[in-house]
Amino acid sequence: MKVMKLLEQFLEKSTLVGNENRLVTTVDFQNDFKREDYEYIHLPGLNIFLDKQAGEAGIRRALIEADYAIAETGSVVIDSCNENLRLASCLAEKLDVVFPLSKLVDNMHDVADFLEERTSESGGYVAFITGASRTADIERVLTVGVHGPKEMTVIILNDL
Amino acid sequence: MTIHTKIDEKLNDKVLYQNLKGFATAYKASKENAYKGLDFEALRTKVHDLKDRDLNKVMQQFNQFKENVEKHGCKVFQAKTGDDACRYIADVMKSHGAKYMVKSKSMTSEEIQLNQYLEKEGLSPIETDLGEWILQIANEHPSHMVMPAIHKTRQQVAKIFSDYTGEKVDPDDIKAMVEIARRFLREYYFKAGVGMTGANVAVASTGTIGLVTNEGNARLSSTVPPVHIVLVGYEKLCDDFGQALDIVRVLPKSATGQIITSYTTWIKGRTPSHKNADGIKETHYVFLDNGRLAFLEHPKFKEALKCIRCGSCANICPAYEMVGGHVYGDRYIGSIGLILTALYQGDAAAKDILKMCIGCRACSFNCPSGIDLQTLISDLKLVVGKKYGINPVKKKVFKSVVAKPKRMKSLLSVGANFQFPLTTTNKLNQEKIIKTVPMLPKEMDFRKFPALASKTFSKRFFKDGYDQFSSQRKVFFYPGCAIEYFYPEMGLAMVKLLQKSGIQVDIPKVAACCGIPAIASGDPDNARTMIFNTLDKLNDAKDYEALLVLCPTCGGAIKHEFLDFTKADPDRYKKASQLGQMVTPVGQFLEDQGIQFKVIGNKTVTYHTPCHDSRSLSYSAEAFLSSVLGEQFIPLTDSNVCCGFGGTYSLDFSSISNGILNKKIENIEATKAEILVTDCPGCVMQINGGLMHQKKAVKVMHLTEFIENHLVVVE
Ligand code: SF4
Ligand code: SF4
Repeated sequence: MKVMKLLEQFLEKSTLVGNENRLVTTVDFQNDFKREDYEYIHLPGLNIFLDKQAGEAGIRRALIEADYAIAETGSVVIDSCNENLRLASCLAEKLDVVFPLSKLVDNMHDVADFLEERTSESGGYVAFITGASRTADIERVLTVGVHGPKEMTVIILNDL
Repeated sequence: MTIHTKIDEKLNDKVLYQNLKGFATAYKASKENAYKGLDFEALRTKVHDLKDRDLNKVMQQFNQFKENVEKHGCKVFQAKTGDDACRYIADVMKSHGAKYMVKSKSMTSEEIQLNQYLEKEGLSPIETDLGEWILQIANEHPSHMVMPAIHKTRQQVAKIFSDYTGEKVDPDDIKAMVEIARRFLREYYFKAGVGMTGANVAVASTGTIGLVTNEGNARLSSTVPPVHIVLVGYEKLCDDFGQALDIVRVLPKSATGQIITSYTTWIKGRTPSHKNADGIKETHYVFLDNGRLAFLEHPKFKEALKCIRCGSCANICPAYEMVGGHVYGDRYIGSIGLILTALYQGDAAAKDILKMCIGCRACSFNCPSGIDLQTLISDLKLVVGKKYGINPVKKKVFKSVVAKPKRMKSLLSVGANFQFPLTTTNKLNQEKIIKTVPMLPKEMDFRKFPALASKTFSKRFFKDGYDQFSSQRKVFFYPGCAIEYFYPEMGLAMVKLLQKSGIQVDIPKVAACCGIPAIASGDPDNARTMIFNTLDKLNDAKDYEALLVLCPTCGGAIKHEFLDFTKADPDRYKKASQLGQMVTPVGQFLEDQGIQFKVIGNKTVTYHTPCHDSRSLSYSAEAFLSSVLGEQFIPLTDSNVCCGFGGTYSLDFSSISNGILNKKIENIEATKAEILVTDCPGCVMQINGGLMHQKKAVKVMHLTEFIENHLVVVE
């Protein structure tokens, strides 16, 4: 099955950059996420929101829904034009991203139209995120969390 | 400081040496991994083609971009010069009363020296990329396009941080240092009135920029402050997202060997920004010309504007690996740095650094935009050589000796007869070498020099009657200077082998130089004379199956440089073109004949791939050797990395040449092979000379000699 192949490829690439990856059903997810201490939630697909404007102190944890995910690179694609969403995804210590399996596409060019559509009006901000904020600027030693999230978890809803 | 003082300073920097060496090895492996399963040639051709456009097309893209952002109230400024751009940016800061501006990494801002300008105006730009920030507070400049602080150790960074913060910093704890940067820079994002980023791509169809980063600093710089300035060169424009993604697909792979960076961010104009009264971001686009637009119309140099700033041409450059980016380049670094310095800062600024290129062509083969960087550097060398002159001794030798085949022959034969008191036999391999070269400066004394052959190749060829063998099947052989004067046995080994297979070998009546030494030294006039001499002495292509060479550099010259130099002379051009198509390295020819060999003896063998074999003639004997030798063949790490010879380069930049050679020797030793085979007499001269100097017992052989002595034909 094509989608399983894509999933395998996505998981391989996403693991490679140090992400934790979880495959869950929507029901399980809806039960589980409540137990976590998110400070910011943006899940339009499930109609769950918790708004907050992250400031200089940052926030501990954010939970965000991705519009797409890309198997080729293990990336999630997030329209983050919404300023609070953008601040949360930039400033959270730990970033959790959710997407329905049906939104997993093969390669970057599959989201070209989406990028075109989301950035044709006055303002637009779409991010491909592939792992935590990282640097290798000191002696090429890979270190995470230089400006943004130090950890990232990807949660894939396998029944949607 | 002269270029040589600068080079020596860098060569003595042990930290730099270790860091660059470690990086070069790690980079090659991760890059290969990142491209696994992909067709690199196809990907880079795509990028090359989409960037292949004239001024008119770029201005169309610009106008479309401009319209797309201006209609929503963004400002677009066209900066003719770097100063124009700096002034505009300073004015935006002042008009907002902004003292601080957070910047994400932008090579373009290095190009125009924006920080210096703003600081003079009493403004404070803050670099937020970790490497750039380290250098900013240490008051230094980047030495690499993607890894700006690659020349620093953790201990040095700790010292810089503790001086800056007044805090105690553990000199071994990189994680803690990154934490310090996070804490200090976080404060600046919120203090800054303006954020500035560059753009890796600028998409005309919507007016969107794309930014590729790992740290996430560009996201914060473009999100937190109320004003966003984008500084971008016109060459970053592309039509649409299809093209932009073609670029993003190769950029991180070639830059750091990552499949993709942590963040690829697409930003368009006026995003929500609560810090502004109207709740919308104020956005400025500064499009920089600074000489770019003129070169879009240049038949050759327009190629340089296809660069996507991945830094790969530094990562794989053996000369860069020795001296680093503070010497190899100016504001831009690596092989493209040599070129852009000439184009943007002027040829006076580039004339010395261009000479550091050894001409190995690794950059041309690695560039993800398909730029033939080495050819551009070679062209620029000719330009500056003509304008500023070249080493006068060299010029004289080229003009009155090398460009005059008869004189060269008689001078060298005198040399061969009178060198006797200077020569000796190297005990380890019984080869004739020069004992000590009188008055040779110490830094040039890193390898033994072969003695001149007592009889030239041509002399032996005719005298021993090899010209008497005739057959229906004929090849023409161009020996080149190295075989002619130093290594006739390599040529004779080939002749015997071919004649045994029933093939007649013809050679030029008079040996002439292929012109490469003059080209590499930037002497176009003498190069032309040499090329015409050689070309006129080569027989017509039509009678032969192939034009064989044992020196791939000469072969590459006939194939490529001869065409360039005969453009204004249709007859010669035609001849050069016909001959060029027939140039074949001898190994290739033998493989094509399907002759089966088997090995005699049990010596272990490794193979060095000459730069110009693989990159000018698309050949390597590695597969042949490994299939004939089986387990006796031991692959050489970085087999296709330059040995550091580069002809007269090894004397002009002996310390770089020596450094490159030492790495080659380390790799050769690691194979523990008894014989090193290669198929370029220049590489033999360099590697054998180095091994003998270091008293290492590895035997170095040209492929033809190896076949003659260690293989037999299976009947
Ligand atoms: S010239 Fe090519 S290899 Fe060098 S930085 Fe530019 S794109 Fe990369
Ligand atoms: S040809 Fe070789 S030495 Fe010259 S710039 Fe390119 S990689 Fe460096």
